[in-house]
Amino acid sequence: MQFGIFTVGDVTTDPTTGTTVSEHERIKNTVELARQAEQVGLDVFATGEHHNPPFVPSSPTTTLGFIAAQTDRLLLSTSTTLITTNDPVKIAEDYATLQHLADGRVDLMMGRGNTGPVYPWFGKDIRDGIPLAIENYALLRRLWTEDVVTWQGKYRTPLQSFTATPRPLDGVPPFVWHGSIRSPEIAEQAAYYGDGFFHNNIFWPMSHTKQMVALYRRRFEHYGHGKADQAIVGLGGQVFMRANSQAAVREFRPYFDNAPVYGHGPSLEEFSRETPLTVGSPQQVVERYAAMADSVGDYQRQLFLIDHAGLPHRTVMEQVELLGTEVVPELRKIAAARKPAHVPDAPTHAARVAAAGRRQATVHGTDEATGLTAEKVSR
Amino acid sequence: MTLQDRRRRLVVVQAGLSQPSSTRLLAQRLASGTEDALLERGTEAEVVFVDLRELAHDLANALLTGFATGGLRNALDSVAGADALIAVTPVFQASYSGLFKTFFDVLDEGSLRGTPTLLAATAGTARHSLVLEHAMRPMFAYLKATTVGTAVFAASEDWGTGGTVGSGLSDRIAVAAAELADLVAARPSKAASVNELGVELADPVPFEQLLGR
Repeated sequence: MQFGIFTVGDVTTDPTTGTTVSEHERIKNTVELARQAEQVGLDVFATGEHHNPPFVPSSPTTTLGFIAAQTDRLLLSTSTTLITTNDPVKIAEDYATLQHLADGRVDLMMGRGNTGPVYPWFGKDIRDGIPLAIENYALLRRLWTEDVVTWQGKYRTPLQSFTATPRPLDGVPPFVWHGSIRSPEIAEQAAYYGDGFFHNNIFWPMSHTKQMVALYRRRFEHYGHGKADQAIVGLGGQVFMRANSQAAVREFRPYFDNAPVYGHGPSLEEFSRETPLTVGSPQQVVERYAAMADSVGDYQRQLFLIDHAGLPHRTVMEQVELLGTEVVPELRKIAAARKPAHVPDAPTHAARVAAAGRRQATVHGTDEATGLTAEKVSR
Repeated sequence: MTLQDRRRRLVVVQAGLSQPSSTRLLAQRLASGTEDALLERGTEAEVVFVDLRELAHDLANALLTGFATGGLRNALDSVAGADALIAVTPVFQASYSGLFKTFFDVLDEGSLRGTPTLLAATAGTARHSLVLEHAMRPMFAYLKATTVGTAVFAASEDWGTGGTVGSGLSDRIAVAAAELADLVAARPSKAASVNELGVELADPVPFEQLLGR
């Protein structure tokens, strides 16, 4: 099982001091956070993508490439890559490049974004969110798996004899997760392709997460990728820890009460009861997150949100250290003990290359999932 | 067919704030009027009251977090599973109250589609009575509820002068209740098809279809 952190990249005023870091500091802090994640033994660092204040990560591959140069083992991912408003050609190129630079330590999570105006800013219509996610991803797959693509769709200029360069490392594109909170179509998309499904449940009750994951697993089996319990599932999480749980609650409460997303709403206690937010000792976090698999089955990736709502950088670094030293080692043991042998591990580039028979990048005539070929002009 | 087989679930959503409240009182009168009218048509009703005052915090939380918790989740599920709805609000600033609107703002899409619905409102003066027609009915039309023609308004004065059977308020309650009962008795009970928590989600549109669109 993989454990890691994911950042939204918000620049939020610390409600306890009134101080606000600069964009420069926030970006540099994010890089330091990723380095710390590797040092304390976490597996994954993922960054969000936003194109409006107060968020800084508009250019994920720049940041991830910079992190790749300063790490050796950390898997770099996104949370999420906007498959709706980004050009799939640019996604294919950017992430294939990152794959080469990071020696394969790359995967992506596709998402539709949650900021309405981003669509018009990029010349798209929010009402086309799902169709854009479907068409763009179908094209992205072809760009990665076929050397020469001739394509025509609804939302982008047609392509004649186009080759996206560089070709994916070892001829194996990055693994893809599809993130969605509420849309069954996206769970369906993930299931159809046999890709991963990530439910970012940090603001949602487990009853809902359970339904969405169950749907994805059922459809994964329906499309013949394996048994339902062999589908690739990831979950979000949100924690704040101190050795003493009362101290954790006392310190985190002002950040909770003023947080951009849920602040000024439910109490910390109500929100902790209804969502995976756990504020307390590392042991409490271990207990809460070890039980997640009881609801969604054995799963492959757990990401924690720990750096939002104006928390000081030093505090966030301490949280990563607590995750790496006290929480994740325990969760790893528990997950390994309960996982049946037929449930796959989280995908890595090495494992995917081995499974693909270590081929060089060549023309793969047909996309094995959609049946689309290079010669056939789509629709 | 026994009376039990013909049971219908009647849900009453009321936004009265004070206790006791004339809005709650009107809601009760409408509920019992509808129960009686249904019995006359050989149909037994199970009545569920949703008092929005008790859900005020959960409603504010749902606006901010996007999900409903606790009693609010049950209330939303009740409304979605209702065979008939009675909706009663006090008039605030020439319209339904904000609390009343908030409940329908967080209601899951499609919950009220085709649900027979009786509208009612209270205020200090009868000069507000058209709120039923210019504020409430358009909202329920948008929600695709099937509203009955007679909506019931009770001003303060109605509780004194018009309270006797066969005249004024009681008359209007009986007429509206009969209209609602006619609609409810004429259609089958909603099966327990509501997507309750813990129930599996239905299969989505197959992906080949999504791809081909």
